[in-house]
Amino acid sequence: MNPTLLIVIVVYIAATLGLGYLAYRRTHSEKDYLIAGGNVHPYLMAMAYGSTFISTSAIVGFGGNAGMFGMSLLWLTVFNIFVGIFIAFVVFGKRTLIVGRNLGAQTFPEFLGLRFKSRFIKHFSATLVAVAMPLYAAAVMIGGARFLEQILHINYNWAVWIFALFVGAYVLTGGLKGVVYTDALQGTIMFFGMVTLLIMTYAKLGGIIPAHEALTALTAQVPAALAAKGHLGWTSMPAFLSEYWWIVVSTLVMGVGIGVLAQPQLVVRYLTVKSPRELNRAVVIGGVFILFMTGVAFVVGALTNVHFMQQSGQLALMAAIDPVTHAPNVDKIIPLYIDSAMPGWFTYIFTLTLLAAAMSTMSGQFHVIGTSISRDLYESLRKKDGKGNSLLINRIGLVVAMIVTVWLTFRLPAGIIAVATTTFMGTCAAAFLPAYTAALYWPRVTRIGAIASMVIGTFTTLFLLVFVYAKGSAGLGISMALFGKATLAGFPWTVIEPIAIALPLSAVVLVAVSLATEPAEAHIMKRLLVPIGTVASEE
Amino acid sequence: MFGIPDPQIWLAYILCITSAVLCVVYGVTHWNSEE
Repeated sequence: MNPTLLIVIVVYIAATLGLGYLAYRRTHSEKDYLIAGGNVHPYLMAMAYGSTFISTSAIVGFGGNAGMFGMSLLWLTVFNIFVGIFIAFVVFGKRTLIVGRNLGAQTFPEFLGLRFKSRFIKHFSATLVAVAMPLYAAAVMIGGARFLEQILHINYNWAVWIFALFVGAYVLTGGLKGVVYTDALQGTIMFFGMVTLLIMTYAKLGGIIPAHEALTALTAQVPAALAAKGHLGWTSMPAFLSEYWWIVVSTLVMGVGIGVLAQPQLVVRYLTVKSPRELNRAVVIGGVFILFMTGVAFVVGALTNVHFMQQSGQLALMAAIDPVTHAPNVDKIIPLYIDSAMPGWFTYIFTLTLLAAAMSTMSGQFHVIGTSISRDLYESLRKKDGKGNSLLINRIGLVVAMIVTVWLTFRLPAGIIAVATTTFMGTCAAAFLPAYTAALYWPRVTRIGAIASMVIGTFTTLFLLVFVYAKGSAGLGISMALFGKATLAGFPWTVIEPIAIALPLSAVVLVAVSLATEPAEAHIMKRLLVPIGTVASEE
Repeated sequence: MFGIPDPQIWLAYILCITSAVLCVVYGVTHWNSEE
């Protein structure tokens, strides 16, 4: 390995471990471990939210997809910023903070459980997180370890263990403080890496407008196989209602864009700040951060076509053909572009950017899986909430989370990354979003309505994933084993992301069942919306 | 616009930037608000 790169990585690791140690020194109570003491600076909160939100797969995986689909993916960035930051912080974040603090909640399952006065809801949510999130964490881990294997020239199995132990170490010792402090460093690195990538790409291609015009000029080069599926060029939306249109709109925009609102590892970030004022300030940083993450990845991903055409007379997809399988691999587009178009010094920055992106997402996942197992399930089922040595129990929960994730990492096929990511976000949205939204804004919602919505949202997503949605059902193979068919439905159902069906259904069930059941607890909302710390006792 | 012929794409390009500007304006105007 290049000695400069080695020095850069060693400095980065030393800085991360230093921040992990600082967090360890400042973690004395369960509140420190679970919500970073509840007094985090808005910059740290926004960076921790943004860098957890954006994984390596958002930059490399989805950026590579933009190399194939083109700039239509920018609609996902619009959703990422407007829904993932603005709506998330202003509409959901502030109320979650006020209601969550007044309830005394320190995790997302606990928040839902206390709000609806239901242990079932708490345990169901925690079980869903503990079962589904390791899949997403393993997907991030596979991406990160493959990347580490490539740059450090080490064995893949070693790369997985290095990743898991390194990230696990600072989450184990510093809890959410360890996550937040290191996320802020990692987010800052990611921001500067992506800003530089954008500037250098536009500069290389002659400026913003000439670069886009050159990409538009490639429209005639769209391969016939892609054109048949609705591809109209890299600066055009796919043909309305074509296969590619459905993929872009439902899989990417709906699945990942809206799915972000109900992810437990992000919701818990709202509880780390002192008051809604800090969230107002964090909106500024969060919005700009995300613009330079997915916005840059999608613009640059699409523009790689111009570079590869100028350099070798071929499209990005052709440049990324795997020499072994002879099939194009979209995940290779961004790394190939960095290698062939950017100067050597930038590869160091970009390496750090991707390492930071993987680690910041994984730390948040480990933390939430761990707290779901320890606080929300183990302690709650033993009725020991807050009693005994909670810090130790939470740390044991984290070790379990790590082992489960590593175990899955060694067993999942490599092609599962994008499917696991969208599946997790989709499942969270269908299971949690209607109940979570109603918990904050709809006094008429009932416990039974919330339970029905969560259960139906979860199982509808699972059913669609196993038997209908082609990418999921073919990958899982259960439909094939039972019925001899990869999927039980036909187009367009096979390409519509499960969230697009399961989320509306879950919302309708929530409203219908709530209206049909006794509205016994409508006064709760008023009591919980008083300023933090002034909530009256129930009697 | 911006060398992009399809309005559905340049609109997305503009909306990305507008959404980030909205976040900045909202945050700055509510900088000290406890609401």
